[in-house]
Amino acid sequence: MSQSSAMQGRFWSFDRAWPWLLPMVAMLLVFTVYPLLYNIWLSFHEYAPLKRRLVYVGFENWQTLFADARMWASLGVTLFYFVVVLIIQLVLGMALALLLDSDDPGMGFLRGVLTLTLVVPPAITGMMFLLMEDPEFGVLSWFLEQIGLLTSSTPILATPATALWGVVLADVWQWTPFMVLIFLAGLRSLPPEPYEAATLDGASAMQIFRRITLPLMNKVIAVAVLIRGIDLFRMFDYVFVMTSGGPGTTTYTLSLYAWQQTFSFIKWGYGATISLLALVIILVIANLFIYIAKVRW
Amino acid sequence: MATVEYQKIGKSFGTVVVLNDLDLTINEGEFVVLLGASGCGKTTLLRMTAGLETVGSGNLSIDGRRVNDVHPRDRDIAMVFQNYALYPTMKVYDNIAFSLQVAKRPEQEIRAKVDEAASVLGLTPYLGRYPKELSGGQRQRVAMGRAMVRNAKVFLFDEPLSNLDAKLRAHMRVEIRQLHDRLAATTIYVTHDQIEAMTMADKIVLMHEGRIIQVGKPDDLYDIPNSKYVADFIGSPTMNFLDGQLRRAGKKVQFVCGDLKLSLPAGFSDQQDGRRVICGIRPADVTLSAKGEITGELSLIEKTGADMQLHTTVENHEFVAIVPRGVDVAAGTSVHFAVQADKLHIFDAGTELRI
Repeated sequence: MSQSSAMQGRFWSFDRAWPWLLPMVAMLLVFTVYPLLYNIWLSFHEYAPLKRRLVYVGFENWQTLFADARMWASLGVTLFYFVVVLIIQLVLGMALALLLDSDDPGMGFLRGVLTLTLVVPPAITGMMFLLMEDPEFGVLSWFLEQIGLLTSSTPILATPATALWGVVLADVWQWTPFMVLIFLAGLRSLPPEPYEAATLDGASAMQIFRRITLPLMNKVIAVAVLIRGIDLFRMFDYVFVMTSGGPGTTTYTLSLYAWQQTFSFIKWGYGATISLLALVIILVIANLFIYIAKVRW
Repeated sequence: MATVEYQKIGKSFGTVVVLNDLDLTINEGEFVVLLGASGCGKTTLLRMTAGLETVGSGNLSIDGRRVNDVHPRDRDIAMVFQNYALYPTMKVYDNIAFSLQVAKRPEQEIRAKVDEAASVLGLTPYLGRYPKELSGGQRQRVAMGRAMVRNAKVFLFDEPLSNLDAKLRAHMRVEIRQLHDRLAATTIYVTHDQIEAMTMADKIVLMHEGRIIQVGKPDDLYDIPNSKYVADFIGSPTMNFLDGQLRRAGKKVQFVCGDLKLSLPAGFSDQQDGRRVICGIRPADVTLSAKGEITGELSLIEKTGADMQLHTTVENHEFVAIVPRGVDVAAGTSVHFAVQADKLHIFDAGTELRI
């Protein structure tokens, strides 16, 4: 038997792709495709406590969803949170990255320090900020009162107008360094020549940032926005720990609302429906964004 | 347009001295080529002129004004970089227009200037393209266009042709020189290619190990190199060098190397007998002649088309001669060359300086 026909006869040949792909495909099927399909199936059913099983309800969950004022309110909270935190983290992250993009002594240490907030579990961060924003002994509350932004009669997390901002603080503290790290990686890999050329062309630092750095960082920023954006849209930990959605329902995010429907009210089907809505919105926004951010150069 | 003056310029990176006590004056409208092997400090000097490197010591003046501490943005200098340094996110139009845009010139004026530069450089069809959609030669032109619209005091070129193929390089040499003649701007051009230097320069500054070895017109450096280094660097194929001694024979002085004896011009009559020297002879300065004094063992014939290069051994030295094509010689035989006495370059064997 010649060498080539021996190769053809073998199952684990490099000519056949599928035996090699099989483990990955199986994992995706079990852990991603199946849960998604099950979720969709679940959204057309509801748990009947008396019968102790799921019964088919047709489009009832979907009809409830679109008529549910609390769902719309939590979607509003989620979108507000998404936009506000993303903008703060983008601007702050870029500013810090530009400051740290230097070979001066100590900068490497500072860049290393940045990663520290990322190793704290988000739930713990939530607890930390819950304590720091405590109206009686919280250091943040004290500080904000000292600079006159807050009075002792307005506890941050218990006042409807400020509660979500209290949560924003925790998110900004924990995840801005993530933005900084991504931006720094981008900034450090930019070619030096266009900067030299632009300086000789008479451009000011601001003109160089706007016309050279930002466009060059285009793709890096897009990646950061995408990763962080998806994270923000499914935000759960901070509100769960810090406010439990309160006061009232002012800090209920879509994820927290889905969790409440599913696990507190045992509405398996309706919880699944809310999650699916969140998934669809994320998919639409993400793809729209990828389309817009597509760069030609 | 401006003069550029370097006074006692020095520069070191750590303990490495890159430029050493360098004096040079570049006149208004001159095309000056800084020539030298890599590591000779020519690019550092150029970047220093632009302000991209700080001046270590000494004075750098543009148009009579000391600019050591002037920001590059305020020096009014245009530069073409070796790798072009185009703005990758901008189309060709914006690349060329950038300096005018940041100076907030009126849109109409910008368009007029960019269009003019584009038409001179043959870039008009490409104004809407991104740099990555252009060939190497086109990118090179964009870099030049960017410098052209500037109307700067001084134009700097940092080995702008080294990334182009030979044919395009020859073409761009002519274009850059024509551009200079059009703009009549002071130009400093860095290269390690002596052909570029010879063909383009008004004045060549030959540098070696952070120092200037010789400054002069291209012909001067070719005809009267002040040292063996310059003689070796300029000219292709390179000059032949023979080690030997000066011999007095009555009033005449001869160069002697083994059995080879060459008479030197009258100017050498006051030279000491027995002085150890190096005799340089350019390959193109010898002629085949049966009565020639130089005898070489011919080992290889290279045909370049227009002429032939004969690789020979003369008194244990490699010796190359350029002769017209079609002369009847064969490898493995002896050939005889004649050379005129005034074409001999005599250098001291110790200092390697011209005598």
